Amino acid sequence: MKLYPQGTNSNPTELGPESSGGRMKGVCVVKPVVFGNVARYFGKKREEDGHTHQWTVYVKPYNNEDMSVYIKKVTFKLHESYANQNRVVLKPPYEVTETGWGEFEIVIKIYFHDSNERPVTLYHILKLFQSGPEDVLSKNALVSEFYEEIVFQDPTAFMHHLLTTTHPITSGVWKHETDFEEKRIKTLESIMNGKTVVRERINELKEKLKLAKETIAKFKEEIEISKRNSANFSP
Amino acid sequence: MADVRDILDIERAQGTEVTKEAIVGADKKKKLFGATKSAPKRPEGMAREVYALLYNDKNDAPPLFPTDAGQGYKNMKANLGMKKVRPWKWMPFTNPARTDNAVFHHWRRVCDEAKEYPFARFNKKVQIPVYTDAEYNLHLQHDNWTNAETDHLFDLARRFDLRFVVMADRWDRSKFDPRSIEDLKERYYSIVTTLSKLKTGPGFPPEAKNYHFDAEHERRRKEQLERLYSRTKEQVEEEMMLQNELRKIEARKKERDRKTQDLQKLISAADSQSEPKKTERKFTRKKLPPQTRPKVDNLSGELSGIKFPDMKGSGVTLRSQRMKLPANIGQKKTKAIEQLLNEFNIDNNPVPTEEICQHFNELRSDLLLLHELKIAMSNCEFELQSLRHQYEAADPGKTLVIPKGLFNESSSTPVITTASTVNQKTDADVAGPSTSQQCSSTML
Repeated sequence: MKLYPQGTNSNPTELGPESSGGRMKGVCVVKPVVFGNVARYFGKKREEDGHTHQWTVYVKPYNNEDMSVYIKKVTFKLHESYANQNRVVLKPPYEVTETGWGEFEIVIKIYFHDSNERPVTLYHILKLFQSGPEDVLSKNALVSEFYEEIVFQDPTAFMHHLLTTTHPITSGVWKHETDFEEKRIKTLESIMNGKTVVRERINELKEKLKLAKETIAKFKEEIEISKRNSANFSP
Repeated sequence: MADVRDILDIERAQGTEVTKEAIVGADKKKKLFGATKSAPKRPEGMAREVYALLYNDKNDAPPLFPTDAGQGYKNMKANLGMKKVRPWKWMPFTNPARTDNAVFHHWRRVCDEAKEYPFARFNKKVQIPVYTDAEYNLHLQHDNWTNAETDHLFDLARRFDLRFVVMADRWDRSKFDPRSIEDLKERYYSIVTTLSKLKTGPGFPPEAKNYHFDAEHERRRKEQLERLYSRTKEQVEEEMMLQNELRKIEARKKERDRKTQDLQKLISAADSQSEPKKTERKFTRKKLPPQTRPKVDNLSGELSGIKFPDMKGSGVTLRSQRMKLPANIGQKKTKAIEQLLNEFNIDNNPVPTEEICQHFNELRSDLLLLHELKIAMSNCEFELQSLRHQYEAADPGKTLVIPKGLFNESSSTPVITTASTVNQKTDADVAGPSTSQQCSSTML
């Protein structure tokens, strides 16, 4: 197989996928990706097969880089009613475009050039219909995409070499339909907020519980006392 | 016998023991089994069948060449006995245990002809002590027993070999008052003890000095057995029922104890939750460079219930895998966490960056703790109410005041302080007659 260019500097290039040079302990490489689908409504039901939408399911890098350096192939497993259910994509863009009328789960498997690194599996529910209050029949494309990070813990030397010698996939601006950075900041904010509130509530409840515990003990004591008293008074 | 002697700390009598070997084949030599030849051990990993081929029961190596001794099976000679045959003879014998010198015949080996009848040694006689009239008058006088009665007792003892049950049965009721087995035993052993302190001789073994028959205890024991035996069906059933009740009560008590312990655990969990807060705050201020591993990764979740997978192993993983709730969190808890997340308006599947994963997991740990605290709180409330009802039922007109703060559902912190002050105030006048009105107003 052909090794990818650029990194001609050191011996990792001589390492094939079979002898991948052992694992680099303590090293961690993270590759953020975006996966999901876009869908467009025909505007009407197609006569021949009843399909209503054209959609594209995809996996693409979050950052502007050519993932084919380290990704060998990406497979998309579609619904069984599709001809050729397992679609294999060897080169970027890693995407499958189809038409259809229904939503289903697509299993996306990403294979790496180093067979010592096991493939990872993503699950995506193909989305065709707006679930929000937006106009259901709008002609605008619908986007349902998610951010994910592939974490390479202790990668093999070969894999590490591939992961660190990527180059941009385009010289233009690399943009996504969804603003994940904004989403990330917002989510983090709300989580941190939630954390503070929850901790406050926990503390509050804790104090209450302590009080309740003491009160229970006190009540029990009172009951004991009154029992003893009534026992004394009765002849 | 030997065991009993050991327990009573009595010296072992010599040579009189009757054992099986003494009767059957005492002269038989013990066969030596396998003491000298120890089979070579089977090497580790060798199949048992293969080993059996190598070492059969004759314990010699298998032949390398086919051998033929020339003998077929037909030539095998039966070789049953090595010794000469010892002849048997029909002969007369006397049993020394018999007093009538009767002569019987039986088959016996010729070589055993002169020997004594082997079963004679089983004729054991119980030695019943004797006493003279002088001794009786001096030492053995008893308010309840006459001399004649005592003589009758010892006569029976001799006749029936101290079988007290038979003795009590044959007790001469026409001449004497009826006596129980315990009475007989008590009298007999007290006499033996007294006599054995005075003299030695047949019937006075050294241990007889320490004989002590606790007749009262024995009577009580029998009485108890009698009562146990003569219970009616209803009584048995009642006892069973009471035992079941007792078991239930104990189980309930255990349950209560467990609950209070759980409560304590929750409170201390909440305590530890609030402490590391400050350090974590600092940690989150300085943003993590995206490509280093989090140092506190395994810390998350440990403080409270959820232990998230730490994903430390080599290989490729998806970041979102770290946010997966472990399988040991049940459906109910998962639902509760989800609901609380919705309450806080937080996405159930947030953008999985490293930082968010960590905080999201910590948040969910906290949420679970919160959920558990809430459950504990409602349990406490229930218990408080039921205790108050109990108190009111036992003592009508009085009531207990549940501190206000406990029912306050607002989420601002000052409530806690007011609650504790209310508590302080009610401390003094709890169960006072005036508080009943106060309580009814707070309850409304």
